Amino acid sequence: MDAALLEQMLLGALLALSVYLPLRCGQLSLATPGFYAVGGYVAALLSTGVPAFAGSGATSPLPALLAEMVLGGALAGLIALAIGGPVLRLRGIYLAIATIALVEILRVLNLNLPFTGGAMGIFGIPQPFAHAEGYVLFTLALLALACWLCQRLEALRLGRAMAAIRDDELAAACVGIDTPRTKLIAFVASAVLAGVTGALAAHFFNSWNARAGSFDASITTLAFVVFGGSRLWPGPVLGGLVLTALPELLRPVGDLRLILFGAVILLGPLFFPQGLVTAERLHWLAARLGRGRHRGRQAPQAP
Amino acid sequence: MNQTPDSTGPVPLLQVEAVSCRFGGLLALDQVSLELEEGEIFGLIGPNGAGKTTLFNVISGLTPPSGGRCLWRGAPTAGLGASGLNRLGIARTFQNLRLFESLSVRENVLVGLHHAARAPLLGSLLGSGAFRRQQGQLQERAMELLTLLELEALAEQRAGDLPYGDRRRLEIARALATAPRLLLLDEPAAGMNPAEKDDLRRLIGTIRQHFTLTVLIIEHHVPLMMQLCDRLAVLNFGRRIALGSPAAVRTDPRVIEAYLGSSGGSSGGSSGGAGGDGR
Repeated sequence: MDAALLEQMLLGALLALSVYLPLRCGQLSLATPGFYAVGGYVAALLSTGVPAFAGSGATSPLPALLAEMVLGGALAGLIALAIGGPVLRLRGIYLAIATIALVEILRVLNLNLPFTGGAMGIFGIPQPFAHAEGYVLFTLALLALACWLCQRLEALRLGRAMAAIRDDELAAACVGIDTPRTKLIAFVASAVLAGVTGALAAHFFNSWNARAGSFDASITTLAFVVFGGSRLWPGPVLGGLVLTALPELLRPVGDLRLILFGAVILLGPLFFPQGLVTAERLHWLAARLGRGRHRGRQAPQAP
Repeated sequence: MNQTPDSTGPVPLLQVEAVSCRFGGLLALDQVSLELEEGEIFGLIGPNGAGKTTLFNVISGLTPPSGGRCLWRGAPTAGLGASGLNRLGIARTFQNLRLFESLSVRENVLVGLHHAARAPLLGSLLGSGAFRRQQGQLQERAMELLTLLELEALAEQRAGDLPYGDRRRLEIARALATAPRLLLLDEPAAGMNPAEKDDLRRLIGTIRQHFTLTVLIIEHHVPLMMQLCDRLAVLNFGRRIALGSPAAVRTDPRVIEAYLGSSGGSSGGSSGGAGGDGR
């Protein structure tokens, strides 16, 4: 498998986690590609227009990449913070529609703003890494960090509050959880992750245009989570990896690949309605891997 | 603390002042007033659709009243919302049970301990010593509550898999975890047999002593309420028709009429009594 495809898969996994975060507290947001595009534009504009970020023009310094990721994530987060208050009052499918509208608004802005390069977008974005392998290692580290945060969330007050809201928002409010605030935190975290990913992706793809954040991309990232499973973080990661790789791996079969890809997306939820990754399957896997070694995961721990 | 149930403190714990609640054409609550004294067990009875659950929803902040107001220790509670009121010290259970079904029994109580789980973000993420000690205390507290409610053996079960009676007790445990001063119980004995009802009565007594709680309870089973409550209010068609000690309420002619006379008839009545579906 070549490194460029691997890099795209890792980016897909990061975007899937961005869709997963609001879903953890029951919020179906499709805004991820919009924030992804915003992060990408921040990186593209800075590294092609600001000398301090541009480096030699062909290669850009690593600290500049980190700074762009921070700024891209911050801008995406600020947009999420600004619109999250009113938007998160909507529930279910209405929230999904509102977030699609947000993605469209951002896309049209990106197409028409005077400094975003129109339909052509921005190209010649300098490379912080000489080879795709460099991107892969860097993105792997970022994905590991994101997964670790998602795992830690499980043990935290915030993670429990999110799970409670997912199960029953009204009851969550009645045990003292500030439900609008918790949902807003999840939404902003999702936007920050998407923005950071976009900043990285803009360098990797070398050019950036408004197609990065389209309605199609909203549906694709949602498919990652539906396919992989929305309950536990390994689900979206797996979904993002597999569904990004599949169209490329199916390239040898020609036009048939789109049909096969569609069939996988259709059949996945049909046979695995909870997604591929569920708690039961993870326990089963852990039991198989840890056979011989005693694992006390299920046993109640003495306090 | 308050062994004398009808001791009147300087300011009542909760005052409900002329609260009305209108849903479209239905007046679910009509100028209802109540005062709860610290430490008492106060019962709310009335026929179906009388507005009892609506009153609970107003008190717990789920439904804003169309008129009137509630005061907590003398301060208006308008605009606080359900989570704000819970942080003031009002916790509730639900008539139709609202547990966090995909979480374990223990986790349900841990969610209730939300207020006590505040911790610095970095320490929590890195699992600092202080964070782990706090987690240990929370787990211990959760297990104490589960033991009190006789659920400790089921701690790791999924709440959605529990049988009915255990769910009712878990909801009480979760409400107690929020360290309330006032506990609202919405038909806690629904669907229980006489022995279970007896256990429940003892349990509510234990809880009140253990936590120095004030309890407001909705229940249809009138004999249970007569035994349990210090005072009772009776609602009918959204109006408070009686208030006082169980003995006084029992002999009130308006109460007798509400239970035996005009309600209960299969015609349903012409004044909109069929509404108020408990939401």
